[in-house]
Amino acid sequence: MNKIMYLEFERCIGCRACQAACRECGDHDAKERNYVEYVDFTESRQTYPMLCMQCKDPACARVCPANAIQITDEGVVLSAMEEKCIGCRNCTFGCPFGIPKFDFEENKMYKCDMCYDRSKHDIAPMCASVCPSDAIRFIDFDEMQQLRRRRSQMNLVEGKKPQEGNKWEYVPEFFGVYTD
Amino acid sequence: MSDFIAKEGIQNLHKPGEKLITTHCCYCGMQCGMHIRVNKSSGKVVGVEPRYDWPVTNGKMCPKGVTAYQTIDHQDRITKPLIKKNGEFVESSWKEALDLIEKNFKRLQEESGKDALSVFGGVSMTNEKCYLVGKYARVGLGTRYLDYNGRFCMSSAAGGFIQTFGVDRGSTLPWTELEHSDCFFLAGSNTAECHPTSIQWFWKAKDKGAKLIVADPRETPTARVADVHLDLKPGTDSALANGMLHLIIKEGYVDKEYVSKRCNNFEELKQNVDKFTPEYTSEITGVAVEKLIKAAHIYGMSPRSVVMFARGVEQQSKGVDNVRLYSSMALLRGQVGKFASGVATFTGQGNGQGGREHGQKSDLLPGYRKLTDPAAVEYISSIWGIDPSEMPKPGVSAYEMFGEIEKGNIRGMHVICSNPAVSAPNLEHIWNGFKKLDFLVVSDFFLSETASFADVVLPATTWAEDEGTTTNIEGRVIRIRKVTDPIGESKPDWEILSLIAERMGKGKHFLYNEAGEIFDEFRLATKGGKADYYGITWDRIDRENGVFWPCPAEDHPGTPTMFEESFYTEDGKANLGVVGWKEAGEVPTKDYPLFLTTGRVVFHYLSGNQTRRVDFLMEQCPEPFAEMHPALASRYQLEDGDMVKLKTPRSHMTVKTKITKAIRKDTVFVPYHWGKELAVNQLTSDCLDPISRMPEFKVCALQMEKLPAKKEGITRE
Amino acid sequence: MKSLERSFYSKSSKYSFIVVLLLFFSIWIGTENFLHFDMALMGYLISSLIFAIGLTIRMSSWLLRPATRQVIQRSLKNLRQRKYKRRNMKAILKTAFENIFLQKFIFKRGIYRGVQHFLIAWGCIGSFAITFGLTFGWMHFELVDPETYTIVVMGVETISMAAHGLFAEMVYNGLNITASMVLIGVCMALTRRIINEDVKVTQRAEFDLFPLFLLLAVTVTGLLLTVSYVLLDGWMHHYMTLVHQVTVVVLLIYFPFGKLFHLPIRPLTTAVPMNYQEEWKVDTRPCLRCGTVYSSDPQVSDVKEILSVQQFDLQLEDGSYLSDYCPACRRRIRVMKQLNNQPHLQQGHNPILTRNGSEMSGFGSRRTDDYYNFPDHVQKELEQHKEEGGNER
Repeated sequence: MNKIMYLEFERCIGCRACQAACRECGDHDAKERNYVEYVDFTESRQTYPMLCMQCKDPACARVCPANAIQITDEGVVLSAMEEKCIGCRNCTFGCPFGIPKFDFEENKMYKCDMCYDRSKHDIAPMCASVCPSDAIRFIDFDEMQQLRRRRSQMNLVEGKKPQEGNKWEYVPEFFGVYTD
Repeated sequence: MSDFIAKEGIQNLHKPGEKLITTHCCYCGMQCGMHIRVNKSSGKVVGVEPRYDWPVTNGKMCPKGVTAYQTIDHQDRITKPLIKKNGEFVESSWKEALDLIEKNFKRLQEESGKDALSVFGGVSMTNEKCYLVGKYARVGLGTRYLDYNGRFCMSSAAGGFIQTFGVDRGSTLPWTELEHSDCFFLAGSNTAECHPTSIQWFWKAKDKGAKLIVADPRETPTARVADVHLDLKPGTDSALANGMLHLIIKEGYVDKEYVSKRCNNFEELKQNVDKFTPEYTSEITGVAVEKLIKAAHIYGMSPRSVVMFARGVEQQSKGVDNVRLYSSMALLRGQVGKFASGVATFTGQGNGQGGREHGQKSDLLPGYRKLTDPAAVEYISSIWGIDPSEMPKPGVSAYEMFGEIEKGNIRGMHVICSNPAVSAPNLEHIWNGFKKLDFLVVSDFFLSETASFADVVLPATTWAEDEGTTTNIEGRVIRIRKVTDPIGESKPDWEILSLIAERMGKGKHFLYNEAGEIFDEFRLATKGGKADYYGITWDRIDRENGVFWPCPAEDHPGTPTMFEESFYTEDGKANLGVVGWKEAGEVPTKDYPLFLTTGRVVFHYLSGNQTRRVDFLMEQCPEPFAEMHPALASRYQLEDGDMVKLKTPRSHMTVKTKITKAIRKDTVFVPYHWGKELAVNQLTSDCLDPISRMPEFKVCALQMEKLPAKKEGITRE
Repeated sequence: MKSLERSFYSKSSKYSFIVVLLLFFSIWIGTENFLHFDMALMGYLISSLIFAIGLTIRMSSWLLRPATRQVIQRSLKNLRQRKYKRRNMKAILKTAFENIFLQKFIFKRGIYRGVQHFLIAWGCIGSFAITFGLTFGWMHFELVDPETYTIVVMGVETISMAAHGLFAEMVYNGLNITASMVLIGVCMALTRRIINEDVKVTQRAEFDLFPLFLLLAVTVTGLLLTVSYVLLDGWMHHYMTLVHQVTVVVLLIYFPFGKLFHLPIRPLTTAVPMNYQEEWKVDTRPCLRCGTVYSSDPQVSDVKEILSVQQFDLQLEDGSYLSDYCPACRRRIRVMKQLNNQPHLQQGHNPILTRNGSEMSGFGSRRTDDYYNFPDHVQKELEQHKEEGGNER
């Protein structure tokens, strides 16, 4: 997989097509795994989409007592393996981005897997495919670099380069599976 | 030919055991391209796959589009004809239903003449079906009373365009050019919610530095990122447009050469807008002077600009005037007929463009021919194989048909692909009309609010069970494919209409075996008309990513950009709009001190008959709400989620409040997708535009009252 | 104790050594000084020992993971506390019954899946119990008189039964019954994987299918043994025994390293009601920002501890940790941070510049007026109007 997911929050129009589309993905069991939320509806209609950052060293996997969260060869962080997950929800509290969802009834955690059946063939995940505003994109690494440069002002917060360990603090809008 | 169309190098996910069928969405005018996933062995529709290579939408879809396939094999589908017996619907056979229709239709026409019957059409269906509705009413039933739900949707734009440009094509430019434009002036359009997949073009342009000016009483998701948001009072568009024209002329932004060569009435216009100084305009519209000035300069300084509008300006008693004035803004700047610039309206319904060209309107024949033009009547009569004298005269508009029912002139009605029991204004009047009818037939695939009034409900198919074409927001004719066989005993509308026509003794005019034959007949019927489809074939559509009308010959490339050389008026020049200021049909008073305006939310489509049956969409937006500014809410001591009673001179309803600063302080917004006691259209005004006969959905005077909190909330049927 | 520790390469080798030692001791007791040891089971014995070693190594490396250790430590601490006795008992019993015995949560994922898993799980556990019991010689049958058998467990006579009674038949056929359960379950699982495309999306086929085929091989060959013995007069019985033994050996050696390893770690589920969630689905800890309850104090402190041990620095400027916020607030913090839209960041409200110098507006940051290059008189006019009266809502 050579492409990455790229988010530009302010493009979001709050239509939630990404969530409807997420339900359509293989193995998603008609439950969406991404988020679209209002910043503050009383103030403005601004919404933002949020999905898994597919960390290289995912905190969710690190806090899992059952070692149930696996990472694929391509670097996609998968939902907890159903047979191993003990249902403690540590992952939902450990994740710095608040991504994993938990189903109490079925006792399983589920999270964005970048529509693994699509993205492993370099086909855009459903959310990025349908997003009418391009708030979610599935693009080449180079294209992402260009887009980032364009928005340089935002990304060089305090002039530091983000590290893997603290990227939640600095990381610009790109994430996903990439190599640098 | 394969049913799956994809350009080379485009990757789609083909799951084992499934095939993809290329088609378009069933909902709004964007007509987003999509592939429907069908299980090869069972033939059942199982999902959707983006059509990345459709040039207008690039695979993008809104939540309605993503879930559209779920309505095809839905548990609520009507699979057999229903006949009302003792107030209850009973499933019956087609023969039984047709017998009953034949008996009653003939009886009513014998008793009260041909015009005792009426047909209420719709444009959320293919061109073939829309065309046949007109022929069915005029040839099959022989009635003059024919109109369609486009009267609640597009007719003001049509009226304004015809007066200004001489022809009504929703967009003068293809939307793929939008990204190269420098400035957009969007009036009364919440395109981010109502046509979500169009937003990519605006955002792309914005990435390149384009500016966005939005006129809307609400700070919609579209207005949120606007450079200037002109937060005008509902119903003051003509003043705003005149104000903009005033500034454009005063600041010297007029393209004098273009105007003198291609437009009429410039001097009259100049004189007319003279008094619309920013101060005067601000006084009427409630928009700050600074914003007006800023907007006019941004618009005036942009080398390429597009003026766009939608129901916000059209669904008013001055809808046609508004369209003329806003179009004049583009004409003064010399923008119409050029690259990446022009005028466009956002077509609301899937085939709102195509459907209004093919003679479903009370006074129009296929190809935008006029029913009052003897030559047109003669030509169409020859295509239809009738004597010109048999052609009925023009009838009345959609809303006025219910007046005719009241008067007893219309006694029977056939509603096709429409749900006026939710979508028409002043609903109590409509409901009374339906109750008064002697005989009502409704063709639909879900039991809509209108269908529940019917004596006979005929099971129609969804868009995915028939072949055909539609014409999208740009005027591009595109292909809809059959994805699955009709569910149960349902039949496509053209087959239903042919069956009834046959029972009425007109079978020889309706000898169709498939939709393609209707398309061929209708190509011929439009030949030489303004909306000329003669050169368009189904093959060409596949090959060329759709074909833009007018396309008079098979070797004609189609017309993506309109008016490059001249306009369709008699003298070939565009008529600038010269219109003074006039109040809306209903303005706030002491008793009714607020504005009520209605509109859509992104999760529902029109009367909601389809989208209210999709789980995802209902989870996101289960019921209507009254959106208001916190300042207004606190005056009535309302908190978010409180129940509020809304009252207009016609009726009242109770909804939950939703509080946001993104709306004017004197305006309450309620979405209209619900029926019965949740229908805001019970409250809306029936004041009609004098030319387009479009009701004024967007402006009502409103009274508001806080209700004690109910624990259980609203109960729904 | 320290010196014992130092005699081994690692903790897991130490534990493996102890486990093997204990097993030999139990064999010694069970077979009454190797008197009843069945040499025919030698192959099984060796593979069982490897199984035990593998399991020990996997378990100890699993327990050494910071996350697992943290949870186990808290569980042990809670178990030692007298005041939690009731709660602990309740947690253990409830989990053991609902989660481990009934496997309710799998039935909620679908009846089919529930039945399938129940059959495989209890079929396997039963089979293992009988197999280990026999191979390690922990139990054997002794003839008391021509009509009565007695089961000897660890050298102690326990139940006596009529040689041809129903109970006896069930005991002799124990393996056949459990094997049939596994066979049905495995077939259901394989069918599901053939029919349902979605299952294949994220699962690695090999990881998922190999154990199923292995179980299939073991149960089929095992059941064929019985068929051969009962119906075919022992035809090919010898070869079948060999083949069956090979499949079982492979299964036993594979067990600790593949998907089936989830069985021995399942009891950890008890930790959830015992440590974190006294009442199912009831949270107690409020989010620092919005006040919504989203977790419990012990769990958040455990998560913080686990993260800090692994050098995850998720502390904010104000000293709070990200785990102190509910997931929704964490998402918001992340978005706001990225947009420089946090109140304490001064530069937050500037428009974003694009590559070609145009300003992108959004999130309340308006384009600055100079972007539009208005003529001077217009700019002045605008400024004048701005001064005259605010038009912002």
